[in-house]
Amino acid sequence: MKREPGWYKDAVVYQVHVRTFYDTNNDGIGDFAGLAQRLDYVQELGVNTIWLMPFFPSPLRDDGYDISDYRSVHPSYGTLEDFKKFLSIAHERGIRVIIEMVLNHTSDQHPWFLESRSSQGNPKRDWYVWSDTDAKYRGTRIIFVDTEMSNWAWDPISKSYYWHRFFSHQPDLNYDNPAVREEMWNVMKFWLEMGIDGFRLDAVPYLIEREGTNCENLPETHAIIRDLRKRVDEQFPGVMLLAEANQWPADLRPYFGDGDEFHMAFHFPLMPRMFMGLRLEDRKPITEILQQTPEIPASCQWCLFLRNHDELTLEMVTDMERDYMYDIYASDKTMRLNLGIRRRLAPLLDNDRRRIELMNGMLMSLPGTPIIYYGDEIGMGDNIYLGDRNGVRTPMQWSGGWNGGFSGADPESLYSPSILNPVYGYQAVNVLSQKRTQHSLLSWMKHIIGIRRSTPVFGSGSIEFLYPANHRVLAFIRQLGKETVLVVNNLSSAAQAVELDLRRYKGNILIEMFGKNIFPRIGDLPYLLTMGPYQFYWFRLRRI
Amino acid sequence: MLTDDFVRQLINVGEVDILVGLPTHNHAKTIEPVVRAIQAGILKCFPRERTVIINADGGSNDGTPELVTGASIDDVWRASKVYALRTLHAISTRYATTLDSGTALRTILAAADLLRAKVCVLVSPEATTIEPDWVQKLVRPVYYDNFDLVCPLYRRQKSEGALMRNLLYPMTRSMYGYRIHEPYASEFAISGRFATDLLGKEIWTQEWGRMGAEISVTITAITGSYRVCQSFLGTKAQPARNSSDLVSVMRRTVGALFASLDGNFELWSKLSGSQPVPTLDSEPEVIPEGARINRKRLHDMFATGVTNLEPVFRSILSETTLSDLQKIAALGIDEFNYPAELWARTVLEFTASYHKSVINRDHILQALVPLYRGRSLTFLLDDQNGSGENIEIREEALCGEFERLKPYLLEIWGERK
Repeated sequence: MKREPGWYKDAVVYQVHVRTFYDTNNDGIGDFAGLAQRLDYVQELGVNTIWLMPFFPSPLRDDGYDISDYRSVHPSYGTLEDFKKFLSIAHERGIRVIIEMVLNHTSDQHPWFLESRSSQGNPKRDWYVWSDTDAKYRGTRIIFVDTEMSNWAWDPISKSYYWHRFFSHQPDLNYDNPAVREEMWNVMKFWLEMGIDGFRLDAVPYLIEREGTNCENLPETHAIIRDLRKRVDEQFPGVMLLAEANQWPADLRPYFGDGDEFHMAFHFPLMPRMFMGLRLEDRKPITEILQQTPEIPASCQWCLFLRNHDELTLEMVTDMERDYMYDIYASDKTMRLNLGIRRRLAPLLDNDRRRIELMNGMLMSLPGTPIIYYGDEIGMGDNIYLGDRNGVRTPMQWSGGWNGGFSGADPESLYSPSILNPVYGYQAVNVLSQKRTQHSLLSWMKHIIGIRRSTPVFGSGSIEFLYPANHRVLAFIRQLGKETVLVVNNLSSAAQAVELDLRRYKGNILIEMFGKNIFPRIGDLPYLLTMGPYQFYWFRLRRI
Repeated sequence: MLTDDFVRQLINVGEVDILVGLPTHNHAKTIEPVVRAIQAGILKCFPRERTVIINADGGSNDGTPELVTGASIDDVWRASKVYALRTLHAISTRYATTLDSGTALRTILAAADLLRAKVCVLVSPEATTIEPDWVQKLVRPVYYDNFDLVCPLYRRQKSEGALMRNLLYPMTRSMYGYRIHEPYASEFAISGRFATDLLGKEIWTQEWGRMGAEISVTITAITGSYRVCQSFLGTKAQPARNSSDLVSVMRRTVGALFASLDGNFELWSKLSGSQPVPTLDSEPEVIPEGARINRKRLHDMFATGVTNLEPVFRSILSETTLSDLQKIAALGIDEFNYPAELWARTVLEFTASYHKSVINRDHILQALVPLYRGRSLTFLLDDQNGSGENIEIREEALCGEFERLKPYLLEIWGERK
């Protein structure tokens, strides 16, 4: 599949875990053969890129982010051949595939670590970060505050401490060691040669440690990324690198470099503010964070998402904002995890179809590449009692039948219990029933994805906010070449009137992009729109 | 009727939880710190609430409205390090080309009604001693405890608020039965429900409502069985005024109070005594001070008034009261004393005469001014170096006189002169 430069800017990404999607061998765990079978669904949805969560051999103590072998497929999900087959079918259908690459750490069961800890003189000793004391790098925050007391863990075998930014069973690799850097490039090359279209690089800010710093975003880390990018560009042109760096916009900006580091990065601070703006019925949090978002090189792109496999992270908000988010979206403390909220989109929005549509409307129209988390397109629910983030990683709900159509195994043997409650359970929420209804959320999602992909203006266009006096309305202009789109979002639960200053576009008529209806021509007066609760409009401006 | 432009601004603001009203007229010199204190108070205590500041301006030509709408919240949150979650609107409307506090209040209430505000707070543009805490002290009782009216309590110097202590408070208390210390308040908060009800009342077409909108709010709350409380705000500084302003102040306050009695006779005539209202954060209200009093001037104004206005007083006062006044007017400055009982009797006879309109009502109020000067002189000289507590004891005694003499008012209320 040919990779046009910048293909990722116009992509709509579907994030999925093999394990959760479809089980073909009835062992209760989704597999690559199942994912390949369900690519018709992904294609019908209209997305053109799949982002796969880790599928490598792993003890699965962190849902696969604790990798014990970078060059294989976890036996529960199939074989390397199964993966290649899936990749081939995806490409045949015009769907690109991005895979996860956990650079920062391995599982403590990885042979490298087993060797490294076996003795202080082992040749792989220096592949990890060891210390005789746990007093080094004291300025470094703990990320998993609910489970970890320190970034150091004592290893009773080699009688010293090893460094871990995440769980203690995930030792950090030592990127000061050239052998580690070279080996990780070899790992990436292994998958690139197979034909994957990009990597989502996990936890990139933490690659390097230096005393006296917070061990995040260090210049040496950027140098490593630049080196990887250079190799990718030279040997695999068109492959995309996506950064997972949960940082403030100003700290994120360097990860794009001069267009020579990452192609894309998640805009973590924007996501919670979209939820906040919705409940405050005020555009302020959204416009403020986007005003603070620096310009990025022309070849680069933000990645936007509403929900993903992790908790709705509240690391990139102020204390006051975090308190507000907890009170509004996670009043039950079971919903909270680390500094975030472990809930899916539909339950977060009280299963309010209008709010779900509005949030997806913003996701698809703000500058960036949107990512849809599997199941959110049908309004799947969560199970906050499953522990860690497993409540948002339950089996995909295909039908109202046995195990929701996910697997023919005994329900008790599924990797995770299916959602069964009367509101979000698979009998109420599933693909099959929504396919049969023109007005289902699934049908609506197909429609909006189609419109989003009908024009490059959303992926590559500029954005200019309008600031109508009505603060409940978020309005902006997207422009690319001769194409201009006006987006107007009513964040309020009540109908609103809004006057837009569109004099610069005088003479244009507005064409509503969903129904293709014509709205009055823009004149000298403020353009008055009345909007229903949580309604949004996308207008194409045409001078006819 | 609200202007189209104002309605357009209200549409943009939408529903709010807290509305802060600022009635202004050429207040450019004092308005900025007031707005900043309000903004800081909102940011500090109500960052999650939907809030708007509404300026009802009576035709300022000094740029007051622009100062209100132009005050940037960014400066406040940088200074206070409190972050605003929401947009905080500040909008302005010109309700007239001249000052009219009744229309200003009505405009603000109309906005509160349209925006379905849960709390409507009024703040004086001259409240130069305002602290951010005032906002929560006014808002909280309505927002969290379901009160309908929050009247302020201030800490003031003895020489300030004399009209309140000597007339408005004791008279309102004795007539309407509630011990509301500041019945004519320039800062207060009301519930959305009460704001809506107030708008629908007849007070806006009645003399007393038009004259003294603020006191009519208090009286309407009392007579309408709304839940009233008092909240201690802090130190209040009296705006600088000319002595000639006293007549217009009398019209707006005492006149409105007197006029309110006409329509509420059925209620107040049946009440005796008084009861306290719930009071939050109570603190001593009087700062004893060595007030610099121009005794001679006050004494002269009183004595001259008693002499010159004798024909007018004969229409208003009983022979006994006039005679008693003439006796104290003849006293030298060192012996001068206008006792509480005589002052209460004077005021009540003025009240009855006002009701009967024995002469032009405006002239009745003007005639009360020199007598009030005499009472002020006694009030200021009493316990000149005494404690705040002593002053409050004397105030309580004066209220007792008003309550004791209330039956006398009922006697003379319907009498023909």
